[in-house]
Amino acid sequence: MRFFRFLLVSAWACSFAVRAEVPDHQVFAASGPQLLLWVTSERGRAEPEVHAAQQLAAQGVEIWSLDLVAAYFLPQLASSMDAVPSRDLADWLRAAQASGKRVVVYAVSRAAVPVLRAAAMLTPGERQGLCVMLMYPNLYTVAEPLAEPDFLVVGDLRGLRVHVLQPRRSAATPWLPGLLDHLSKQGAATSHVILENLREGWWARETPTEFEIAESRRMDAMLLRELNNWGCK
Amino acid sequence: MKRWLGVCAMGLLLAGGVQAAGFEARAATPAPELKAQDLAGVTKTLADYRGKVVLLNFWASWCPPCLREMPSMERLRTKMAGRPLAIVAVDSAETRDEVNGFLSRMTLGFPILLDPDGANTKRWKVFALPTTFLLDAEGRVRHVLTGPTEWDEGEALGIIESLLAELPHP
Repeated sequence: MRFFRFLLVSAWACSFAVRAEVPDHQVFAASGPQLLLWVTSERGRAEPEVHAAQQLAAQGVEIWSLDLVAAYFLPQLASSMDAVPSRDLADWLRAAQASGKRVVVYAVSRAAVPVLRAAAMLTPGERQGLCVMLMYPNLYTVAEPLAEPDFLVVGDLRGLRVHVLQPRRSAATPWLPGLLDHLSKQGAATSHVILENLREGWWARETPTEFEIAESRRMDAMLLRELNNWGCK
Repeated sequence: MKRWLGVCAMGLLLAGGVQAAGFEARAATPAPELKAQDLAGVTKTLADYRGKVVLLNFWASWCPPCLREMPSMERLRTKMAGRPLAIVAVDSAETRDEVNGFLSRMTLGFPILLDPDGANTKRWKVFALPTTFLLDAEGRVRHVLTGPTEWDEGEALGIIESLLAELPHP
């Protein structure tokens, strides 16, 4: 009898191991109706991002902060983001939607790849209830000098609303129209805003400008402004 | 599953992450069009540099690696004075004021071209800064470098000398 119980428990444990898992994330609880799923870049979670999450929670926006490189023990490389299991993230998105709050995903740099792949795995109904903000998304498969850029096909994005935040001071800024066009072709409804006088990852730069330092401190205000101006409901 | 992902990621790291950046040789590719104004408002094209080896550098004043390699480009200009080498730096997608602001802090003797709308950046398919193209005297792209280097020494200088050596001796 004990042996059979052991077998049953083992079988259950094995089935759990091969199932998708909801990745470990940090919660900044708040009582407001909005839930922001903050997926940090391949460089991991930076202190100003934690500070901004705390500030947003204090203003009523609940934050679930996910550092994919820490959650999956990955090296801090853009290619690591491509290795994140989309099914885990899709389950995470569903768990967030089940909270009853209005869910917005905010993904930075290459973290856009697993987030969009996960969104593509949702049912059309689930996807329509989701808003995605991407900070300087990196969706390149090929970005070689003198060659046409090629972007990743992430799947069916019909019904998904995507808002891109693009720092002006970025080599990717001239290529933004092509990226938006690529997302549109996969079905996403896109919009964008250019963030003036800022570089990619300004909150974690080794030699930030005074303006970047100030903007790092008020990152919560920038995100709230974009959430409100965008008006994705 | 996490262990498996870790192994995969390490494989990716070994496959691509630790490879040193370096010059990429091209098989004498025809160069895209270059059409940009210099700081005096004069329109320049590659035809202005025909007959010379051209170091065409795409940069921006907000890009630290770009600024790090600029002094070595200036030393290269001095070292190569009188030889058929043109050093041309195209500022990518910034305003004239932003470029002038930077040049007030760093004196450079080679021409700076402006690309405020990024049209040249897009024609040359530049996705990272700095990116530098080395063109032979017939205006063909022979080498590409993504990222900074010390232009007045080592591999960079060797490649430039090899392109200069292809020119007929006067």
